Amino acid sequence: MPSVRPASAGRTDIAAVPPVALMGPGQAAPRRRRRGHDHLAPYALLAPALLVIVMFRLWPLILGVNFSFTGDGDRNGTPVGLSNYTELFDDPVFRTALRNVGLLVLLLPVAVAIPGLLATFIFLRVPGHRVFRNVYFFPAVLSPVIIGAIFNLLLAADGPLNAGLQRIGLGSVDWLGEPKLAIFTVVAVHIWATFGMALVVFLAGFATLDTTLLDAARADGASTAQVIWHVIIPGLSRTIQFVFVTTMIGMLTSMFGLLFVMTAGGPGGSTYLPEYYIWIQQGQMNRPALASAASTVLFLVMLVVGLAQIGLLRRGRRED
Amino acid sequence: MRGARSSGWLIAVPMTALALATVYPMLFTTNVAMKTQREYILDRFALSRSLRWDNVTTAWTNGGMARYFVNSLIIVVAAVALLLLLGSMAGFALSHIRFRGSQALFLGILAALFIPFQVIMVPLARTMADSGLIDTYPGLILAYVAQFLPFTIYLMTSYYSGIPREIVDAARIDGNSLYGVYRRIMVPLGRPALLSIGILDALFCWNDVLIALLMMPSAEHRTLMVGVTTLRGQYSNDIPSFAAGVLIAAVPVLIVYLIFQRQIADAITAGSTKG
Amino acid sequence: MKQRILGPVIALVVILASTACGSAKSPGNSNGGAESGKLVVWDWKSSDKNAQNFVAKAKSDFAKKHPNVTLEFVAQPFENYYTLLGAAIQAGKGPDVMLFNGGGQIRDRTNALLPLDQYVTQDKDRLAGWDAFSKDGKIYAAPITLQGHPIYYNKSIYTKAGLDPDKPPATWDALLSSCTTIKNATKLPCFSLGNKEGYGIQFWMSGMGSGILSPAEYDNWIAGKRDWNSANVKKIFATWKQAGDAGLNTSGANSTAMFMDQYTKFEGGKAANVIGLMSDVGGWHEMNPIIGADNLGVMLSPVITPGAVPSLAFDGGVGYGVAKWTKDPALAADLVRSLTSTDALTAYATDAGAIASDKTVTIAGGGSAAAAIAAAIPAGKPALHVALSAKTQDVMGRVSQQLLSGSITVDEAVKQLATADQAG
Repeated sequence: MPSVRPASAGRTDIAAVPPVALMGPGQAAPRRRRRGHDHLAPYALLAPALLVIVMFRLWPLILGVNFSFTGDGDRNGTPVGLSNYTELFDDPVFRTALRNVGLLVLLLPVAVAIPGLLATFIFLRVPGHRVFRNVYFFPAVLSPVIIGAIFNLLLAADGPLNAGLQRIGLGSVDWLGEPKLAIFTVVAVHIWATFGMALVVFLAGFATLDTTLLDAARADGASTAQVIWHVIIPGLSRTIQFVFVTTMIGMLTSMFGLLFVMTAGGPGGSTYLPEYYIWIQQGQMNRPALASAASTVLFLVMLVVGLAQIGLLRRGRRED
Repeated sequence: MRGARSSGWLIAVPMTALALATVYPMLFTTNVAMKTQREYILDRFALSRSLRWDNVTTAWTNGGMARYFVNSLIIVVAAVALLLLLGSMAGFALSHIRFRGSQALFLGILAALFIPFQVIMVPLARTMADSGLIDTYPGLILAYVAQFLPFTIYLMTSYYSGIPREIVDAARIDGNSLYGVYRRIMVPLGRPALLSIGILDALFCWNDVLIALLMMPSAEHRTLMVGVTTLRGQYSNDIPSFAAGVLIAAVPVLIVYLIFQRQIADAITAGSTKG
Repeated sequence: MKQRILGPVIALVVILASTACGSAKSPGNSNGGAESGKLVVWDWKSSDKNAQNFVAKAKSDFAKKHPNVTLEFVAQPFENYYTLLGAAIQAGKGPDVMLFNGGGQIRDRTNALLPLDQYVTQDKDRLAGWDAFSKDGKIYAAPITLQGHPIYYNKSIYTKAGLDPDKPPATWDALLSSCTTIKNATKLPCFSLGNKEGYGIQFWMSGMGSGILSPAEYDNWIAGKRDWNSANVKKIFATWKQAGDAGLNTSGANSTAMFMDQYTKFEGGKAANVIGLMSDVGGWHEMNPIIGADNLGVMLSPVITPGAVPSLAFDGGVGYGVAKWTKDPALAADLVRSLTSTDALTAYATDAGAIASDKTVTIAGGGSAAAAIAAAIPAGKPALHVALSAKTQDVMGRVSQQLLSGSITVDEAVKQLATADQAG
């Protein structure tokens, strides 16, 4: 059996684009005589997966959109048009949630730059790089609920972080209780929890970087910063784009656990995200139709942001 | 790194601080798990007086963690098996077979990645309830498969694209049907990816709280992560027990991570690209 | 090749097997009202150590009337209880009997519950606290406990500060000055406060309310006539804000959870007072062993508005209701009656340190604190915050956090609350 190296070793072109379309001119093997039932084979291979996805993800999505046009409580099941949506946008808490989504999009470059920089230093063999590689991935395997619970204790107003800060002369800060600060705290914890994954991706990208360019730049006397800007970043462009997309998905969809455990949407509703809003309305407030409306809005936001990302990705690839 | 020794050490300092920051929280939790409730109330952050494993054993037996552990194990194994099976089949079809609509299908599957669970949780719960799947193992397993299949398919497609077409063509010339190619070529060749992606999927399923909470309300079928959250009920003063539960839930993951570090890294990078 | 077939086969087998296990064990709802059916109960207490006797007594009482019916108690984590309940309500399937907090949570969900009036006539005199589980004149749950908000204080801290431990402050100014004295002498803050979940303001409102609103205003509030713009109502929030600004609270109130950090701090001697509960947790039962039964003091609100008459605020605490979809209402109602039987309630009160809803059950061994609370019950009135809808409480939690952090004024706060209250 011929050995096959995994894709990350750079065997062929792969990205978030169907390989079929990638094959370009000279595409594939010449057509062969196909057996009769092979026409169905691809569909048969895909069918179970598609069935599950459609039944348990797409169908509920459509049901949810439909549900969002009905009422709650006493008006259960009756069509109410757009009133859930107007209520949503009248609700200051939901508006805060959307604002926070915007904030996350703005913070995205930070969430990508941190692992990127760390990967660069590890690649450049900063002392201890072998240890760092292993240790940094560690938080990524923990569940957000666990991480949230631990950081609740650590970031408490009278917790060890503040105690440490006081000892070195800086005042203590209510990391999770200051309305203007709390959302940043939560994002910071999220980055702590997930940067290991992005780091690994970057390191893989580095492994395929053409070191001759690097050495040439060095030989020309370029500083580290110049090397980073002119050689590394362009060389890793596709990796960077991939990390952007996956980090975005992560930030918009998996901060729920942290919010739930660390801030419960507070203080003063300042750390609300749409996904948390949906949870609260559905359960605590007993407003499932309103929650469905919020779900629809969230999905649309995700779609827009996601398509924009993929568009950027494609454009980046075409530039190569 | 010629001539940059000193700046190297300078950078190593904050990096070491960060490394400590990644490790400290677990150490802290372990410390808390060693304390008695009284010790904890009196001083939350001091070093525990002794290496006491009572809380862990109590959580395991009386806290029901043993039962939850088994539940999680069963569910995760079944879910991952299905994910790999369905994912590899779909991945093969999308990467090596040219057929109408493959591009649209692939994009459609990717689009499903953008549906966060919260968006579908209400209607999904209803669909599951109507099908009688709430609070059953198959129900939760299917929910996990639906949740992680797009990602799995994406990774498998990426990986399989790396297998040269010549191999597939050779197998076809030998007279294999596409199913045969799948069975005889794709699966064996896919073993490293299947292992890595399987571990990654297992990680996601094991750590999930939200889906399990919604799909398995009863205590009997509860999964481990949900069980950990019950240890800290509204009215529980018992933080050390909670910390012990956290350890029980986190340690298996850490062990898997330590053993399979390489494979996990490979799985993640299977989807990224070369420069 | 053969090995790879094994994989999918194993998966298939596992799924088939678990289907078998799954369906056999899945609770679902009771099928058939036949006497050999099954009832499912959801709550967040039945897994507690100190609720075991309660559950056992309830089961045996029920078994006397219906020996062949199985009972399954499912304890959910409280944080997710109402979310899970919400999902069950929408699916139209779920438990037969459910635990509820009195007040907004049950009143918001009466469309999923069965009115119990016809079943509980014999219990109406024996038990107290029905109002918290009633809506529009109908009863939707039978109370197990009474829950209220006395103000606890640590006598030894008072003594150390040179104050008389048996004469707690009786006016707002006296309270403020006692706080200053305590701060100067012991460096400890006056109140242990955890407002992360937004409950801190609820307890402040109910704990201090009787000292702020006039008796007439108080009764109107409970009856549903609430003037959010009145001076006294604003004073509730003004004093809340003042306490925060003057540094009377433990640090980081907005990020401290009431359950259990607020109480852990008080019990660890880190604050002089705390507004607590009178049943289950956050009260005399858990505080006595740590602080010392002789050391735990109880006080009512100081008189903050002249003419106010401080009283203990309490209502029905938690109670069990019956789901509308249950197959045999009379059977489920009988279970509820067993859960509120005197024997069961006595067990609960003793083990969990609760004030039972059963007037015939007396608390032994509760120390002077429990005795003081029991003495205040006859003159007690319903709690102000329990009369509010869940939506208003949610808004109140948020504005209270904003008041403490200074991002909102009292006037703006009451404006939002008035809107939420009307909409509800």
